[in-house]
Amino acid sequence: MFRFQSLDEDCTLEEEDEGLVEEEDEIDQFNDDTFGAGAIDDDWQEEHKRLAELDERDELAAGLGLGGGGLGGEPDLGGTQHSSSSSSSRLPPSAGCLPLPSSLPPLGFSSSSSKLPPPDVEDRPGDGDLAESLARLILEADPAIAGVGAAERPGPPPGSSGSTLPGLHGLDQPRVLQQTPSIPHQHPHHPKLPPGPSASGPPPSSMLSYQQQQHLMRRGTAPMGQVNSHSIWENSMGFGPVSVTPGLVTHMEDSPLMSIIKEVGLPKRPPQGRNDEGRDLSERVPPPRASSPVIGSPPVRAVPIGTPPKQPMSHALNHQIHHPTAVHVRAPVQHRYPAPFPERLSPNTLLNIANSPLCRGPFPPRVGPVLSQIQRAQLLNSQVAGFPRGGPGPPLLPGGGGFRPFFGGPPPPHGHRMGPPPPHGPPNHTPPIRHNTTHLHPQHRRMLTQRMQSRGGDRGRTGGDRRSRDPYSNLMTQKEKEWVTKIQMMQLQSTDPYLDDYYYQNYYEKMEKRQERERDSSKKEHTTKLITPQVAKVEHTYRPVQFAGSLGKLTVSSVNNPRKMIDAVVTTRTDDEEKREKQVWNKRRQILYTVEKMYSLLLEVQDFEKRFVQTPEEDRDALVEQHKTNTEQLCSSLREKEWDDRVSDEQCVMIMSVRKGKRLISRLLPFLPSPQAAAVVMAIARNLPALAKKDKQDQVLCWLVEPVSTVIQSLSSSSLTDLLQELQGNEGQLATVLHNKFGVTLLYLILSEGERMQSSDPNCQLMDDNRWTELVFSVTRELLSVPSSSLSPPLFTPPNLLSLFSRYVDRQRLELLQDKLQMSTLSR
Amino acid sequence: MNYVPGTASLIDDIDKKHLVLLRDGRTLIGYLRSIDQFANLVFHQTVERIHVGKKFGDIPRGIFIVRGENVVLLGEIDVEKPCDTVLQQVSIEEILEEQRLQQQTKQETEKVKMQVLKDRGLSIPKADNLDEY
Repeated sequence: MFRFQSLDEDCTLEEEDEGLVEEEDEIDQFNDDTFGAGAIDDDWQEEHKRLAELDERDELAAGLGLGGGGLGGEPDLGGTQHSSSSSSSRLPPSAGCLPLPSSLPPLGFSSSSSKLPPPDVEDRPGDGDLAESLARLILEADPAIAGVGAAERPGPPPGSSGSTLPGLHGLDQPRVLQQTPSIPHQHPHHPKLPPGPSASGPPPSSMLSYQQQQHLMRRGTAPMGQVNSHSIWENSMGFGPVSVTPGLVTHMEDSPLMSIIKEVGLPKRPPQGRNDEGRDLSERVPPPRASSPVIGSPPVRAVPIGTPPKQPMSHALNHQIHHPTAVHVRAPVQHRYPAPFPERLSPNTLLNIANSPLCRGPFPPRVGPVLSQIQRAQLLNSQVAGFPRGGPGPPLLPGGGGFRPFFGGPPPPHGHRMGPPPPHGPPNHTPPIRHNTTHLHPQHRRMLTQRMQSRGGDRGRTGGDRRSRDPYSNLMTQKEKEWVTKIQMMQLQSTDPYLDDYYYQNYYEKMEKRQERERDSSKKEHTTKLITPQVAKVEHTYRPVQFAGSLGKLTVSSVNNPRKMIDAVVTTRTDDEEKREKQVWNKRRQILYTVEKMYSLLLEVQDFEKRFVQTPEEDRDALVEQHKTNTEQLCSSLREKEWDDRVSDEQCVMIMSVRKGKRLISRLLPFLPSPQAAAVVMAIARNLPALAKKDKQDQVLCWLVEPVSTVIQSLSSSSLTDLLQELQGNEGQLATVLHNKFGVTLLYLILSEGERMQSSDPNCQLMDDNRWTELVFSVTRELLSVPSSSLSPPLFTPPNLLSLFSRYVDRQRLELLQDKLQMSTLSR
Repeated sequence: MNYVPGTASLIDDIDKKHLVLLRDGRTLIGYLRSIDQFANLVFHQTVERIHVGKKFGDIPRGIFIVRGENVVLLGEIDVEKPCDTVLQQVSIEEILEEQRLQQQTKQETEKVKMQVLKDRGLSIPKADNLDEY
C-alpha cells in the first residue's frame, strides 16, 4: 500500500490548527510560534494587509472548508516566515482541502499540492468539489489576482520547487516554505518534478481541465468499477470510495490519466478504514444532474460500446502500487463542504481549459512502464520469428527504464512482468478457430467451410512467412480484432430476419428448394425447413420514465429520451380555395397514397405463407384470420365506392396511371379471386389505349404480361370472348392496341388461349355464338391493314396463332399474316 | 473470412499492403495496421502516389490515419505479382512539378471557359469538390 504521511490524521478538517502537528521539525517549529505564545514582531500593518489578501483569497476558496476557523485561529502574524508559515499552516487545510491532483506534478501543481499535509484521501466530498476547488485555484492563479500578494512574498523557493508557478506566488510560497522541511523524504521525488512545473503556464489550466474532464466524465456516466490504479487515483482526487475491482475496464484508461500515471506514479493509498468514519456519504455523491442521460434511459453500459479493448496495463500499475518506496506525493486533504459547480467559469473558459491538454497531446515523451503497442507487437513477432531475444528484449527496456526515476530501485517488477509473453499467442500457429456460425443459414455454413478448407492450406504458409519478416505486424492485437468483429456482428443481429435481410433469406431458401428438387424428385413429401435461428428478439423499447399523477411533463431528458417540446395535434385543414393544379396534385397524391396502402397489405399477404410456417400452432389461426382480412381489404380497395361488388374501372385506371400502381396490380393479380382478377383484366383491356398513353414514359405495362396471361388461361370461353371484345372496343381501338407492345402481346395471348381451347376441347363453347369468329375476323382484318412498321413487336408470339388463323382465313391471307407476324417477331 | 464468416471484414487485410483512394483524390499506399468499426484505417509506411499522365511519383509519408468516411476504395496490393506497367516512376520534385503544371493548365482552361461563357451571358456554378449535397 502506499505510505501515507501521518499528517493524514491532521486533515480531518478540524479547523483548529493545533491539530496540525507535522512530522517535520521545521513545521513544528512554525507551529509553536504561530499559535499561542509565539510572538511575532512584525509590522502589524503589513501583516494585516497580508491577512486581508489572504482573506480575500480564502473567501474565494470559501467552499474549500476554511470556514471561519482558519482565519480565526490566526492570532498574530510575525515575520515573513511566520506569517507565511501561519498562513501556510492555515492554508494547508484549506489548500489541502483542494482535492488537487497531487500526483500531477508534471502539470506543475505538485509544488503546491504536494506540500500540503497529506490528506485523508478517503474523505473526498465528490468530484464536484474537486473541479470547483480547482476552478477557484485557477482563478487565484490568475496573475491579476495572485499578483496582489506576490510582490510581498520574497521567500526563496526551495530547490525543487524553484520552478513554481508564477501565477501561484501568493499561495505557493508559504506552502513552499512549509514544504521545505518536509522535503527530506520527498527529495527523490522532487528532482524529477522540474520538467513538469517548468511548463507553468499551461499546467494549471491543463490540470484543471483534466480534473474537470474527469468531473464531467464522471457526471456523464454511471458509476463504474475501476482498475486498482484508477480507484486509487480517483480516491485521491476525492471521488469517494469506489469498490476496487481489479481488471475491470474503464473508459478512462486511454485518457491522459494513464500517461500521467505512467509518468508520475500513483499517490499513496490511504487506509480503507477511514472510509466510514463519520463521513457523510452524501457528500461524496455528485449532485444529481437534472438532465442525466442515466435517468430515464435504457441501462447505460459501464463501458460504451465503442470502447476499444483495454490494454493489459493493470499489472503494471499493480506493481506500482505494491512498490514500497513509492511516490512521495501528498494527496490533498479532503474538502468538507461540497459546493456547486462554479458558475464563474464561463463555458468558454471551460472549453479552453479543457482543450489545453488535448492540444498538448496526451502522451508525454516518456514511455510508461507498460508495453506499448510496438513493443507488444515486437514481442509477438519475435515469438513468431522463432528466435529468442533474451527475455523482454532490448526494445522493451526503454519503457521500463523510463519509469526508473519514480521508483527507488531498478524496475525488476517490470522486467518480470514483461517476461511472460502477452496472452495472444502467435496468430499463425493457432489451431483453426471455431467460429460462431449459428447465425448463418446451414447451406451458407456448408459452403463456407468448404471454401475455407480449400483456401486454408495454401494461404497459411505464405502468410506466416510474410508476417514473420515484418517487424511491425500484429500491432492490432487479437483482442482488438475480436472487438471490432464483435461490433460488426452486433450490427448483423436482427429480430426480424425477413425484414432486415430479406434477400439473403430468400436466396438461400431458393437454393435449398432447388437442391431438394434436383436431389430427390422421387420423394413426394416436401417439407419446408425452418430457416436458421436468428438472434432472439430482445425488446429494446425505451419507455420514458412516467410518474403517476405528476402535473405536466417530465423534466428529465437526455439523448436517449428527448423531451417532447410541442404537443402537436393533427387537424385536417379545410381548404376553401381549389386551384386546378392543386386538385391534380392532390389527386395524384391520393393515388399514391392508395397505392402505398395497398402495397403494405399486399406484402403482408405475400409474406403470409412464410410467417405461417414460422408461427407456432396456437397462433396460426389468428394468422389465417388476419390473412383473410387482408385479402378482403385488398379486394375491397379495388371496388367502387357505390357498387360494392364490382371492380371499379375508375379505381383500377387510377392506380395504373402510376408506375408503382402497375407494379402493384401485377403483383396483386395472383392473389385476387378469379372473378375479380378477370374483372381487372377486363378493365385493363377496356382502357388499354388510355393506359398505353400514360405508360409512354414508363413503359412498364409489360410487367403485367405474366399475371395477365395466368388469368387469361383460367378464363372461361365466354369471358375470353368478352375480353377480346373489350380489347377491340370502339372503332380504332384495336389499331391503338396494335401500336402498343403490351396490347399486341395481350391480343396474342387471348387468341392463343382461344386456339388452345378450341384445339384441346372439341366441346368448347367458343364457337357457340359467332362472336368469337367475328372477333377473330376483325382482328385479322386489322392485322392485315395495319402497316407493319406501326405494328409493335410483342413480347413473345405464341406458336399456335398460325393454326388459329388457318381456321379462319384463306391461304393467301394466311401467308400475308404469316409474313407480317414473322416480320414483327424478327424486327424485335 | 476468419473472424466474420459469411460477411466481409477488413480484419483479414491487416498487415497487408494496400492502396486506398481518398475522397479528395489522393492515392495512398501503405501497410494496413489497424481498423475499427467505422473503417478508420491506420496505415504504416505510407506513400502518397501522385499520378500525372504516364508518370508517377511516390512521397513517403509515414503513418497515416484515415477517417473511414473519406475512403473511396481500398484494395490489397499483391506484392508478389509481377508489376508490368507502362507507368514511369520519377522523382518527387519532378512529379510535383508536373502536378503543378497540370493544375495550372486546368485552371487556365477553366478560366477561359468561364470567360467565354460569361461573354455569352451564361454561368455554370462551380461545383465544390468536397460538397456532395
